[in-house]
Amino acid sequence: MKRQIPLIIIITLGFMFVAHSFIPHKISVDFFDWFQDWAKAISPFAVSLGIMSLFMVHGTKIKRKVPNWQYSVVTLAGLVFTAFAGFVWGTQSGTPYMWLFENVQMPMSATMFALLAFYIASAAYKAFRARSAEATVLLVAAIIVMLGQVPLGAMISKWIPETSTWILNVPNLAAKRAIMIGVGLGITATSLKILLGIERTYLGGGD
Amino acid sequence: MNKNVIKFFDKIQNIDRRYIYLVVAFSIIIPLLIPFNSPTYVTKPTEDIYKKIDSFAGDENKAILMSFTHDASTMPELFPMEVSVLRHCFERNIKVFTICWLPAAAPLVDYAINTAKEDFDVQSGVDYCNFGYKPWAIQLPIMLGMGDDIAKAVETDSQGRKVENLEIMKNIKNYDDMNLVIDFAASSSSITWITYARARFGANIAAGVTAVMVADNYPYLQTGQLMGMLRGLKGAAEYEKLVDVFAAYESEDYPNGRPFSNEIIKETRVPITGDTVPYKYKKARIGMNAQSVAHIMMIFFILLGNIGYFITKKKEI
Repeated sequence: MKRQIPLIIIITLGFMFVAHSFIPHKISVDFFDWFQDWAKAISPFAVSLGIMSLFMVHGTKIKRKVPNWQYSVVTLAGLVFTAFAGFVWGTQSGTPYMWLFENVQMPMSATMFALLAFYIASAAYKAFRARSAEATVLLVAAIIVMLGQVPLGAMISKWIPETSTWILNVPNLAAKRAIMIGVGLGITATSLKILLGIERTYLGGGD
Repeated sequence: MNKNVIKFFDKIQNIDRRYIYLVVAFSIIIPLLIPFNSPTYVTKPTEDIYKKIDSFAGDENKAILMSFTHDASTMPELFPMEVSVLRHCFERNIKVFTICWLPAAAPLVDYAINTAKEDFDVQSGVDYCNFGYKPWAIQLPIMLGMGDDIAKAVETDSQGRKVENLEIMKNIKNYDDMNLVIDFAASSSSITWITYARARFGANIAAGVTAVMVADNYPYLQTGQLMGMLRGLKGAAEYEKLVDVFAAYESEDYPNGRPFSNEIIKETRVPITGDTVPYKYKKARIGMNAQSVAHIMMIFFILLGNIGYFITKKKEI
């Protein structure tokens, strides 16, 4: 029953929502509105579940003093303090919550993302070699697109940004579309398998 | 070939990567600290968004929605776009709504609004409205619900006020009125807007994305499903320039900004080295200087690496 009931709910609702997309009748629209309220009511439970899970995972790590358990303390302290600051003083400009965001989260996140530039530069220098015809095409395309992205490219020649746009608009589009069509067909096939109850791995193992 | 040249390239092939890091760091930091004037060429995808937003100027029956789908990590690229679009709306008296789907994006929305509104006499609930953070799990019901009734789908704004009671909602019912959605993201999340808001309700969708996501969004731009796209820091710099040249322009003939013109934008250069433009409105253009130097350095490294590769290969043969 642990598997059959969720399966029945998914199959029934799945087909009802597919039908809703094609039947704009009042009953169908009303059902959809009613479901929207349910969806809104369910989502806070997902947040609670996430917080509980975080406390359980990191709480266990702290309790057992596993290697690097100190990071778990920082994670939980960050969660508690940020939530506390938000609940007590609000989230508007000038509050401790906003201070934390502007002075802790913002620079730390931006720093992590900015590190990419260093890795890319180093990788480009060490690995980007014209070893074969394909690699040479990739190398030339990369240089043109990089130059086309900055004012210097247009200053050297108007052909650089134009060629850069062509690379993005023609070969890039052809490859992207092919991938997207493949992904789209895959999604449709998987969705059908879920709707028909053939694909059941999302239900988890065991009875 | 000269033995010294071969020796030099041999050495440089195995250079410690920390030297590369150092060069990249300097090539980014120096242009940020010492800004210089470089041309900003405005491209069509940016121009299309500007013109669409500008067509709503002073119209009480039209509004735009800015969707924030990113966290602080991609702020350097996306934040200048958001501030520029907000500035454009405030300059030209265009109703603007904001919404976000990630908890980490909620402070970003406040930060962007607070940054842009400092120079304008605008009021929350009247000139702009922040719908606030709505959980990802209910994105679809809200997105679809806004096609029928925005106030009903969103219910409350970030301050807990009933959206239906806000003055800004006068004449704004659904996507027919809130006719442009711009999704600022470090992903292809604009596809969700295209699938549901555009395909079903005919809403105009635009995207402001990080440079690495540009290629992913190109198919939708080419088909017209995205009516425009701000592409990375370059797109942000272009939009900053457009707002400077047109929306923020003041003269006797045009006290509240002037209409877009291809000739004017081609001829006009906005200097960023002086104090004429506040720092917050030229951040992307200063960043573009750093990006230009960094790209040149990268190309230099790639070429140097390849020359060294071929010389070493020749020597081995």
